[in-house]
Amino acid sequence: MAVSESDILRSEVRWAMIVGVAVAVIFAAVIYTGIELHVNPPSNIETIDPKALHLSNEFTESNLGTRVEPEGRITTRIVATQFAFDPPCVVVPANEPVTLRLTTPDVIHGILVTGTNVNTMIVPGYVAQVHTVFTKTGDLLMPCHEYCGLGHSQMWATVRVVPRESFRPDAEGRVACD
Amino acid sequence: MSVESEAEDRPWQVRASVIVVAIVVVAALLGFVVLPVVQGRSAGVDAFSAICRALGLQAGSPAVRQPVSATRAEPVSLVAWTEEVIARLHNPNEENGSDLAANICASCHGADGVSPDPAFPHMAGQSAFAIYKQLHDFKNGARGNEIMASVVEQLDDEQMADIAAHFAYFTKGALDPTTPVTNDPAIVRLVERGITARGLPACASCHGAHAGGPIETPTLAGQRHEYLAAQLRAFAKGERRNDIYHRMRDIATKLTDSEIEELAAYYAGIGLYQRIK
Amino acid sequence: MTSVARLTKAHLWIAFAAFLVACVFGIWQMWARSPLATPYVIAEHYFLSVTAHGVAMAFVLTTFFIMGFGYFTAETALDRPLPGKPWAWAGFFLAVAGTLMAVAAILSGQASVLYTFYPPLTGSPFFYLGLVLVVVGSWIWCILMIVAMREWKGAHPGAPVPLAMFATVANAIMWLWTTVGVAAELLFIVIPASLGWVDTVDVGLTRTLFSWTLHAIVYFWLFPAYIAFYTMAPQAAGGRLYSDMMGRLTFVLFLVYSLPVGLHHLFMDPEHSTGFKFVQMSLTVLVAVPTLLTVFTISASLEIAGRLRGGRGLLGWIPALPWDRPMVLATGLSFVMLFFGGGGGLVNMSYGLNALIHNTSWVTAHFHLIFGGTVVIMYFAICYAIWPRLTGHEAGTQDAQRLQLWLWFVGMMIMSLPWHWLGLHGQWRRVAQFDYTNPIIAAWGPWVTTSLVGGILLFASAVVFVWNLAALRADRKAPVAPFAFATAVHQPARVPASLNGFGLWNVLVLVLMIAAYGWPIAQFFVLQPPHAVVHRVDRGG
Repeated sequence: MAVSESDILRSEVRWAMIVGVAVAVIFAAVIYTGIELHVNPPSNIETIDPKALHLSNEFTESNLGTRVEPEGRITTRIVATQFAFDPPCVVVPANEPVTLRLTTPDVIHGILVTGTNVNTMIVPGYVAQVHTVFTKTGDLLMPCHEYCGLGHSQMWATVRVVPRESFRPDAEGRVACD
Repeated sequence: MSVESEAEDRPWQVRASVIVVAIVVVAALLGFVVLPVVQGRSAGVDAFSAICRALGLQAGSPAVRQPVSATRAEPVSLVAWTEEVIARLHNPNEENGSDLAANICASCHGADGVSPDPAFPHMAGQSAFAIYKQLHDFKNGARGNEIMASVVEQLDDEQMADIAAHFAYFTKGALDPTTPVTNDPAIVRLVERGITARGLPACASCHGAHAGGPIETPTLAGQRHEYLAAQLRAFAKGERRNDIYHRMRDIATKLTDSEIEELAAYYAGIGLYQRIK
Repeated sequence: MTSVARLTKAHLWIAFAAFLVACVFGIWQMWARSPLATPYVIAEHYFLSVTAHGVAMAFVLTTFFIMGFGYFTAETALDRPLPGKPWAWAGFFLAVAGTLMAVAAILSGQASVLYTFYPPLTGSPFFYLGLVLVVVGSWIWCILMIVAMREWKGAHPGAPVPLAMFATVANAIMWLWTTVGVAAELLFIVIPASLGWVDTVDVGLTRTLFSWTLHAIVYFWLFPAYIAFYTMAPQAAGGRLYSDMMGRLTFVLFLVYSLPVGLHHLFMDPEHSTGFKFVQMSLTVLVAVPTLLTVFTISASLEIAGRLRGGRGLLGWIPALPWDRPMVLATGLSFVMLFFGGGGGLVNMSYGLNALIHNTSWVTAHFHLIFGGTVVIMYFAICYAIWPRLTGHEAGTQDAQRLQLWLWFVGMMIMSLPWHWLGLHGQWRRVAQFDYTNPIIAAWGPWVTTSLVGGILLFASAVVFVWNLAALRADRKAPVAPFAFATAVHQPARVPASLNGFGLWNVLVLVLMIAAYGWPIAQFFVLQPPHAVVHRVDRGG
C-alpha cells in the first residue's frame, strides 16, 4: 500500500478532531439543558428509616396523596409497597409545578408516568423526589418499573391530571381521587 | 526498560495524565459549582446550599427549594422491624416461650398451636414475625379484639417474641388439613397469577414459598377457613386496619364475597408441607 | 491444532450451552409479555426465567467465552505455550462448579432476584457463592494473561506486544478492577445477608457497589468484539490494519473510561447527588471516543482491502469487499447494530434525557442491540474463524454460517427496534404480564408481537450456530497453516512504553476511581443511612 505513515497520522488527527467536536456538542447540549432549563436527575439525599416509615410524621397514611401546603406548593406523597402504591390514585393539577415525594417501607421500587419524563427509583432508606409540571390532562399510568418481587407486574397506580379549575382542595388542602 | 525509551515515554505519561485530570477538573467545576449556582440563583437557593446539594452534603435539588411537612403521625401499627426485634425472634428464650404458650395460649389455640375451635386461628408453624406483630397490635389497640387485648395486656415485647418464636419453630409442619382443596381455576389463577387488570397481585407473591414479601406476612396454608374469611371481610370493611399502607385493605376491597369464601377454602385446604417444601 | 485447543473448546462449549438455554428462556419471556395467550405463566416461573436468562447470558456465556478466547489468543498471538496451563484448568473447573451451584439455586426457585440482585431481596447463598466462584475462576484467567504477556516481554525486550494480546491483557486488567465492586457487594453485604448473619442491609451502598461493576462489565463483554475488529476483520477482508497505535489507544481508553462511569446507571436514584452524577456523565461521554476511533480505523482498514480488490471511487470499495466471508459479514452487520445501539446509548447516558427512558424497554433494546447484536455476532464470527484451528476441521461450505449471521442480524433488528419504540411510549421493564385491556397498553400489542417474531429468528439462528460448530467435525481437514492475526500497514518496530504496558493507565484508573467513586461510596459510612430489612426469597415468608 502506498499510504505513508504521516498520511495515516494526519487522517487520524483529523478524525480525532471530528470526534472531539461531536463529544463537545453532546456535552454542550447537556450543559445548556442544565443551565437554561434546570434539568437535573432526581437526586435527593434525604434519609428516612424504612423500618419505621409508618411511624414517621410525613409518611403517615392520612398524609399520603396530594396536598396544597400552607405555603401554596403542591406536594404529592406516595408510598410504594409490595405490591401496591398508597394511595393507588393521585390527583394533580395541569400546568402547575408539582413535587412528587416517594418512599418505601420494604424493597427497591421505581416509577415512571407514561407520556411524561417523570421517572425515579425508590430506594429504601431515602425519600425520592421529582419536581415536574404535568401538561396533558387525563388518567396517566404510573407503574412500578423496578423488580420488587413476584407481584411486580400487578403494581401500578393512576395519576389523574385535572384542569386547574377542577382541582379543588378541601379545608386541609388535600385533593383525592373519587 | 532503557533510559532512552523512558525519556521517549515521558511525554506520553505527562500528556495523558494532564488530559485525564483536566477533564475531571472541568467536569467537577461544572457539576459542583457552575450548574448548581446558576440553577439555585433563579430558584432562590443560596449558592452555598446549592453547592452543598450538588456535593450531596444537603438534601434536595440545587434547582428547587425543599418542601416541608408539618403533619403528625397517626400510625396504624406501632411495630417497627428493628434489628433488636428481629434478633429476638431469631434467638428467643425457648423455655419462656413454651411456658407462656402453655399458660396463656393453649386453651384457645391448642397446646401444639392447632386450634380446636374454627373461630380461632391455628398458630402451629405460623411465621414468628406475623404472630409477634399481631400480639403487639392487640396490645396497643392497633387491632381490635377484646379477648386478645386482655390476654396480651400483661406481656412485654420480649415475652411476645418468645411466644411467637415458640409456635413458629417448635411446631412447624404440625397441621395436616383434611378439608378438600378448591379446584376452581379462577381461584387458582388468582392465587398463582393475580389479575393485572384489577390491580390484584397473586396471593402467592407474598404468601408463597418463594415470595420475599413483607416481613410480617403470615402463613395462610392450612389456616382455619372461618378465620381467613372473617379477616378478609374485616379488611374490606375497614374494621381491621393494622396492615401498614393498606396492603391488605387495598386487596380485600377488590375481592368479591364469593372470591373471599373460595380463597379461604383454598388456603384452608393446603397442607403446610406444601409451603415449606 | 494449538496446545490450548482442548482448554479453549471446553470453555466455548460451556459458553454456548448456556447461550442456547438462555435463548429458550428469552423467547418464552417475550411470549409471556405479548398479547398472545400464555397458559403457563406465573410470576414465580417468569422471574426464575429472567434470572436464568440474565445469569446465563451476562455471566456464563461471556466469562467462559472471554476466557477461552483469551487462552487461544495468548498462545497464537504470542506464539509460545500458555504458562500455567494446570491453573487454567483449575480456573475452568472452579467456574463450572460455580455455574452449577448458581443454576441449581435458580432452578429450585430460590434465587429469583434477577442477575442484578436487588438487595434487600435476597436469594439462596448457593446462588451468590456460585457466582463468586465463576468470578474467582476468571481472576485466575486474568493473572495468567498478565503473566503470559510479562514472560513474552521478558523474552522480547523493547518489542511491541502483539495488538491482540495487548487488548486481551487490557481486558484482564479492566476485569480485575471491574469485579472489585460486585465482589465487595457480595462478600461483605449480600452473602452475609443470605446466610442469615445480618438481618438488614444498606441498600444505597449495595446499589453503588454494583454500579461500579455494571458499566465496565459491558466493556469486558465487548473487548473480544473489538479484538476481532482490529486483528481479525482486516485480515479476513484481505487487507491490513490501518493503524496499530490507534488500536492500542482505543484499548487503553476503554480501560480508563469504562470504570469511573457506573453512576450513570443510577441517574434516577435518590442516594447520589447531582454533582457526582454530572461528573460521571461527563466521563461517560468520553467512552464514545474509543468507539468512534474504532469505527474510523476499521472502516479505513476495510477500505484498504476493498481497494486492493479493485474497488474504485468514494464508496466503490464497499461492494468490492468479500462479504461472503463470515468475519467480514459479521463486522459489517455488527457496525450497523452498533450505529443504532450506540445512538440509543447516547440517550441513556444523557443527564436529562435518561428520565424519559430509564427502566423502559428502550434500555432493554439498547443492551440487546449492543451486547446481543454488536458483540455476540462477533463471538460467532470469532468461533467460525478459530474453530478449524481448534478442531482440525474446516467447513466445506460457509453457506450455513452466512445464513446464521444474517438470521441473527435480522432477528435482532426486528426484536429490538420495536422495543425502542415501546420504551419511548413508556413500556416498563421486568414485567411478567401486561394488562392489554388498558387502552394505553393495548396500543403496544402489535409491536410486542412483532418483536416476538424477531426473537424466534434469533432462536433459530442460535440453533444453527451450535449446529455449525458441532457439524464441523464431519467436514474436511483444515489446512495446517498457523493462525494469523492482522498486521498493520506500518507495523511498528517499537511503541512508547505507555502503549506497551499498563502501569500508567492503572495509576490513572485509580485517580479517576477515587475522584468519581470516592465520596459516593464514603458518604454511606459518613451519613450512616438507615438500613432495610432483608427480604428472603428462598424461604417461606
